[in-house]
Amino acid sequence: MDRFVVSRSHSEAYHPDRRHALWLSTVLICCSLTAPAQKITQRGDTSAPFSTRATHLLGFANARNNSAGTLSVQDDSLQFQQNGRTGEKVKIALVRDVLLGEESKQVGGLPMTLGKAAAPYGGGRVVSLFSHKKYDILTLEYVDSDGGIHGAIFQLTKGQGELVKNELIAQGATISSRQDQSTKESAAEAGHENK
Amino acid sequence: MKTSKCNLWIACGIALVAILLALPGRLPGQTAAAQFSGGNGASATRWSVQIDPVNPGNLDVAYSFQIAIYENLVDELNKTKQFQQVFRDGDVRASEFPNLLVLKTTVEKYTPGSETRRAVTTVSGATKLTVRSQLLTREGKVVFEHTVNGDVRFFGSNLRATHNLAHNIAKTIKQSSWSGSGQPTAILTGQL
Repeated sequence: MDRFVVSRSHSEAYHPDRRHALWLSTVLICCSLTAPAQKITQRGDTSAPFSTRATHLLGFANARNNSAGTLSVQDDSLQFQQNGRTGEKVKIALVRDVLLGEESKQVGGLPMTLGKAAAPYGGGRVVSLFSHKKYDILTLEYVDSDGGIHGAIFQLTKGQGELVKNELIAQGATISSRQDQSTKESAAEAGHENK
Repeated sequence: MKTSKCNLWIACGIALVAILLALPGRLPGQTAAAQFSGGNGASATRWSVQIDPVNPGNLDVAYSFQIAIYENLVDELNKTKQFQQVFRDGDVRASEFPNLLVLKTTVEKYTPGSETRRAVTTVSGATKLTVRSQLLTREGKVVFEHTVNGDVRFFGSNLRATHNLAHNIAKTIKQSSWSGSGQPTAILTGQL
């Protein structure tokens, strides 16, 4: 190995260094590009509000079902702000239970479904095999001012549900003895998909 | 003279046809009215309903499913306009209403499905739910009991089964001959 390096000329030995530098700069550029995407869930300052992208499936205050937005924990309330609308709030003290689950869903929505249906020779089915993604399902139970029980379900990117749950617990939300169903559900889902 | 006799016959014929046409249209209206008032002519009492959380029984039903059924039931029963008020469990205002029914939902069968499997195979991977729905009075008397199914077979997420189930429960309650008079002659049982 030493002999190989010694046998090369000075100019040839310089190239690997340049390549390494190029690799390093590429990696750094990639890191800097992905950093803003993660910024929304990172908390540099402990007093800054926690927020993450989420899809509201149903039940949260007056928010529209199946709408995308930002779920945030601010002051003493949990807020869901739909894109371009005012946020809906629920006080964390009124949250009675927080449970985490997991579900595999097809991505692409209606356009993708139509595209798959239109694909010839069952091509859509093959696409379906690969066009699914696992999500965290965050289920909340809270009470309103009259004492009525409400339930809300949010769909979050995998890994984000745990962060929201921990944040809610840190802010004083109570949780029951029920266990999260992520492990059980994912096992059942995997079982179905492997059949 | 002959012409006026002919006109009289035509007039009688038209009147008869008009009566025959009007009669069948009127009968369903009478039946509907009778159903709404309990069939005894008495003024119908508007009942309110309180929805209990879903009882999973001894089945391993995902908590998100239980919450989704409960929330969809609140929505669907409000849509039917069959009840004066639809209360959630724990609502303190419910105690002020004398004519209150409690809707209990117990899961009897649950088949977890897979959206991917449905998309790939079409014929398998359906999410199926079967529940027993009961309407009880404050005294615990069952006035309505039905087994209702809800599933998602082709398109849509697994949670769509809960929406279909709640829709079917609300439809069954609306279509049932339970009148809301508060004095049912028999417990209504069946399966949708």
